[in-house]
Amino acid sequence: MKTLITSAIAGIVALAAAHAAEVGKPAPDFSAKDAKGSTVSLSDLKGKVVVLEWNNFGCPFVKKHYGSGNMQKLQETYTGKGVVWLTVNSAATGKEGFLDAAAALSKTSEEKWKGSHYLIDGDGKIGKAYGAKTTPHMFVIDKEGKLVYNGAIDSKATPKADDIASSENYVSAAADAALAGKAVTTAKTEPYGCGVKY
Amino acid sequence: MKLLHALAPLMAASVASAATHSGHAAAELIAASTTYEAAKPVDAAIRITVDPEWHTYWTNPGEGGMKLGIEWQLPEGWKAGEVGWPVPGRFMTGELPGFGYFGEIVLPVTLTPPANATGPAKIGLKVDWLTCNDAACVPGDAALEVALSPGAAAPTPAAPVIAKAKTKVPAPVEGLKLEVKDADKNLVLTLTAPKDVNPAAFSVFQATPQVVDPAAKIQFAKSGDAWTATVAKSEYLSGPAKTLELVLDGGGLPHPATVTWQNK
Repeated sequence: MKTLITSAIAGIVALAAAHAAEVGKPAPDFSAKDAKGSTVSLSDLKGKVVVLEWNNFGCPFVKKHYGSGNMQKLQETYTGKGVVWLTVNSAATGKEGFLDAAAALSKTSEEKWKGSHYLIDGDGKIGKAYGAKTTPHMFVIDKEGKLVYNGAIDSKATPKADDIASSENYVSAAADAALAGKAVTTAKTEPYGCGVKY
Repeated sequence: MKLLHALAPLMAASVASAATHSGHAAAELIAASTTYEAAKPVDAAIRITVDPEWHTYWTNPGEGGMKLGIEWQLPEGWKAGEVGWPVPGRFMTGELPGFGYFGEIVLPVTLTPPANATGPAKIGLKVDWLTCNDAACVPGDAALEVALSPGAAAPTPAAPVIAKAKTKVPAPVEGLKLEVKDADKNLVLTLTAPKDVNPAAFSVFQATPQVVDPAAKIQFAKSGDAWTATVAKSEYLSGPAKTLELVLDGGGLPHPATVTWQNK
């Protein structure tokens, strides 16, 4: 009986793991409304490199990258190269950093956000499909729709903006490789930041 | 009560900076003596008091946390030893498993003056931390200082606090030995332990980050002459495990223990 229960639990864990986004495998498809009310579907973005950025403006680790202008600079640089930059907010209603569409519009304008779409994922479906753990947590998808990067924005897991200059930026390295059709050298790292607030 | 409050800063003035509150914790640098003698180590400690309902993190913070940042500003020739970390607790921050502390923690450290040290010495420390609860994370930092003057040892009220904290820092225990074997997505841990302890009753903490899944609870069970536990690997471990340090507590141990395995 004990063995049966143990294997049943192991089965559930394996199933959950198999469904989570895995580097080297097709990125889980999704469809969601952005803050402006347009629907964005990943399957429509084939042929483009896509960056996913988990966001919560209340989190000090997110503030590190927005307060310094680092995130906006990355967004501007890569959307300029044809990358589709999707910022995703999976905070549940009432949790820190939750934004409805109207609040997201005003907050993104205030933060001088430069991404392509700000997606509201209030039920956390996209976040769970990708296994997004923290804000920020970054993913890069190549032109064929394959997940090529899953992890931290950079190499220094601190909330200090002063550390950005001396950090290795994993997202720009992965996006550059994906744009050039090359393999991503660092494809998985441990993300750092606040919890997603599902 | 009012008098005590008024006196406390005066009493502390010569041995420690008053606690600095930032984020959801306060930090203070305390020393066991107001004085030092050349080349003789002085016991000191970083005391962190976390606000109720908030927590801060251990050296292996688990997922999403951050360990304390420590940066010394020492007079010429002075040395600060490794900071000692007490046994942490396990908790969840939302959905993220973590290791760390609630309430007050005292991290002992030894400050050693050089052989030619003379005159007053100002020991400076910049410390930063992350405090979280289920709803939010807030960083904090403090610039701390303690002043020591030359002279024979003059114990401060902090001396017994630091002495007690030193006994709580995990240290090796004779007869404890760890072996680790890769088994697909798991690691099989084999522990050899002295006869008079009971590893099945140990609280076990994975001190090395990114080797064992931080969500995995390590529970040893008797297996022949040794004790074994099978635990999930961290998803961020690439290739076979190379090293693993565990912190063990309880189960009849004389004091909290560390045990380290290195792949040869």
